[in-house]
Amino acid sequence: MDASEREQYRAAIHGDREAFEMIIRTHSRALFAIAYGILQNREEAEDVVQDSLVKAWKTRWRVREPEKYPAWLATIARHRAHDVFRKRRTFPLSEDIIESVEREPTDTTTLDRQLHSALAALPELHRAALTLRYFEEMDYRTIENTLGLTNGALRGILGRALASMRKQLRPALAPMD
Amino acid sequence: MATIHDEIDNWLAGDLHGELSDEERSALHAHLVDCAACRKTHQETKLMNKILEDTLVQEKADPAFEQRMLSGFRRRFPQRSGFVKLLNDLIRLRAVQITAVAAVLLALVQVGRMITGESATMPRGREDYAKKDLFQQPSRFAASEPARAGALDKSDELAAGRPQAVPLQAPPPSSSVEAKDKAEAFARAQAPTATESNLSAAENAAPKPAETPAPELANRKLIRNATVHLEIVSFDDAVQKITAFAKEERGYVATTDSQKQANGKLRGSVVVKVLPENLDRFLQKIRGLGELKNQTLGTEDVTKAYFDTDARLKNAHVMEQRLIDMLKTKTGKVADLLQVEKELARVREEIEKMQGELKYWDSQVQFATVTISLAEKDMEEPAAFLLKERAQLALYAPDVEKIYNDVKALASQKVQITNAQLNRDYSGRVSATMSMLIAPEESEGVIGRVKSFGRVENFQSQTERIAQSGSGMSENAKTKRDKVELNITISREEQEQAFQQSSLRIRTSSVDERAKELRTLAEKQNGRVRSSSFSRDPDGREFANVTLRVPMKNYNVLMQSLDSLGKVENVSVQRQDRAGAQIDEANAPADISIQVYSQGNIVSHESGLLATLRHTLAQSAGAIMWSLRMIGVAIAFLAPWVVALVALIWITRRVIRARQSGS
Repeated sequence: MDASEREQYRAAIHGDREAFEMIIRTHSRALFAIAYGILQNREEAEDVVQDSLVKAWKTRWRVREPEKYPAWLATIARHRAHDVFRKRRTFPLSEDIIESVEREPTDTTTLDRQLHSALAALPELHRAALTLRYFEEMDYRTIENTLGLTNGALRGILGRALASMRKQLRPALAPMD
Repeated sequence: MATIHDEIDNWLAGDLHGELSDEERSALHAHLVDCAACRKTHQETKLMNKILEDTLVQEKADPAFEQRMLSGFRRRFPQRSGFVKLLNDLIRLRAVQITAVAAVLLALVQVGRMITGESATMPRGREDYAKKDLFQQPSRFAASEPARAGALDKSDELAAGRPQAVPLQAPPPSSSVEAKDKAEAFARAQAPTATESNLSAAENAAPKPAETPAPELANRKLIRNATVHLEIVSFDDAVQKITAFAKEERGYVATTDSQKQANGKLRGSVVVKVLPENLDRFLQKIRGLGELKNQTLGTEDVTKAYFDTDARLKNAHVMEQRLIDMLKTKTGKVADLLQVEKELARVREEIEKMQGELKYWDSQVQFATVTISLAEKDMEEPAAFLLKERAQLALYAPDVEKIYNDVKALASQKVQITNAQLNRDYSGRVSATMSMLIAPEESEGVIGRVKSFGRVENFQSQTERIAQSGSGMSENAKTKRDKVELNITISREEQEQAFQQSSLRIRTSSVDERAKELRTLAEKQNGRVRSSSFSRDPDGREFANVTLRVPMKNYNVLMQSLDSLGKVENVSVQRQDRAGAQIDEANAPADISIQVYSQGNIVSHESGLLATLRHTLAQSAGAIMWSLRMIGVAIAFLAPWVVALVALIWITRRVIRARQSGS
């Protein structure tokens, strides 16, 4: 994190609108990726990002160290997304999808669905990491910063996420070989 | 390549995402060549990655996403302006909140302090505490509230349990288990001991006292001193006993001094030096001498200063030697050599000073100093009483000046006139004030003589008993009469206020004659005419006013003789009793003012028929004038109301008429 970036976070914490709007421009995509990773629904994810930004602005004084600002934003987005996810649990989407996958395994749209269900089966953090990686093609360091992870933890997370996806989708993958 | 094989998923992910270093990548590829299973996994993972990339790219946020987020944010938080925004932001700032809370707390604390009246004290630094804890522990144990007996006992026990700073090997035996425990605790506090050699090394490094390994107790330099206040019966006796005790404890009496008070009691102090280890026993013995008023026991730890100075002294010695060597080799310029000489002198002076200091400390440490203040019982008893007599005398005399000179002539060795004043004011009145001091044995006679000079108007005497150098009662104090102070005021009789004032009227036919007779009557009775006047009014009546003054004793005789002059009327008597004043009643003056008058024999203008007629006419004219005036006043008062009423009626009528004609 370079000095100008930190200065920007500091200004945002102290209530500088310009700085915060700049942060919206640069960070909302990552937040979207995180929210999407959890919810797998674009509309909901977008709402979550919007809400998270509002909350972040309202409670900006809670952050003490500017360095942790991005991770804090990500945490807000994750919690918010989680809340939304819990509220809609009455409709267990993922199981529907799994059933449909089992019925028509080789269709490309079904592959899509399978993929989503496999994603849904992953732990939340893994999903967020995956979406950050594949949406924004962020490098590992930035992702680690955003998710508040320690150095080098991400490789293991992504490795395990990919492996678990691979195992779940193996039947669908086999014919593509 | 077991690690790669075990963690193949992580490696593959890193490879696909371009996060492997060159070495890592080549290692991975080498493993893939070897391991078929991993190769298969690699294929699958690659495919998985591809699918994810393809699929998730579709789900990415669209390009207008950020703009939507921004506008959403702006909608929720419209830009606020100026001061409100600033204030809002300020309130939300944590720093501001903390400051506010701190300010409130501080204010509360200040208010609390104001209420309790406690003065603000800064907390002491940590280092300070460390020092105090380590070094003042002994004195804190020892110097407690000495006035209370219980506290005293305890402090003594503690003091007894404390190790000494003398070439003493073991702490002296202690009777109290508690004290022993404390002593041990204290010893533990000093625990990390240091030998002589590493002590000086430590001293050279100048560390903080809390971190220094404390020197052994036996090497500590402690100066002990005590002060004791005793009330004893006999001073000399006590001094002798103290001397004996000091000898028993292998000490000596350093100084004694005593002062004799005016009442014969002795007060003084004795300074005794005893070996520190015997100090407590010595104090115990001394207490038996009399009533203990106050005792303090103090210990000063000079260990650090002592060894500091010691180390510096050694350094100074080395320095001195070096300078001497420099002088011996005698190379360099003369100026340089002079400089060296100068430096050498300075160093030697320093050495002497330090040696002196060490010696002083040694002597202080070797012996404990006990200062005993002694005072004999009933110190405050008065030595003597003095009877002070003060008298005030007021005299009236016909000739002030003569008496003034007579009193002055009384002056002698035993009668001293301190103040004499003769006043004569513009109207010729004379008065004198005098003050004198009379020897007690002469006082009766002198005062009697002064009294006889004139008429005593007032005499007051007061006696006071004054205790000298002390207070309260004393059985064997002597009482002495002091000189009598006499203040005299002399005034002329004329100025004297009459003791009794009477006034009366005498009707007679020949006023002038009777007035003259009155004068002779008064002179016969030893009285004087103070004033007289004569007048005749237009009706032919005559008045003579005479004021007489006679002594009280002749008053009644005079009053009786007045009857011979004519008919006595309207007698009134007024007497002034002055409380508290000693009055010579027989000689006190009585004033009598007498009006002698005759009935007029000339007919007045204001009588007879004509006069009556004139009076009647004038009075009726006056009555008429008066009633006219009253009528005028009434009119003047009523007129405005009448005018207003008339105007109102007129207007009303006009209005009514106008209506009627209109309709």
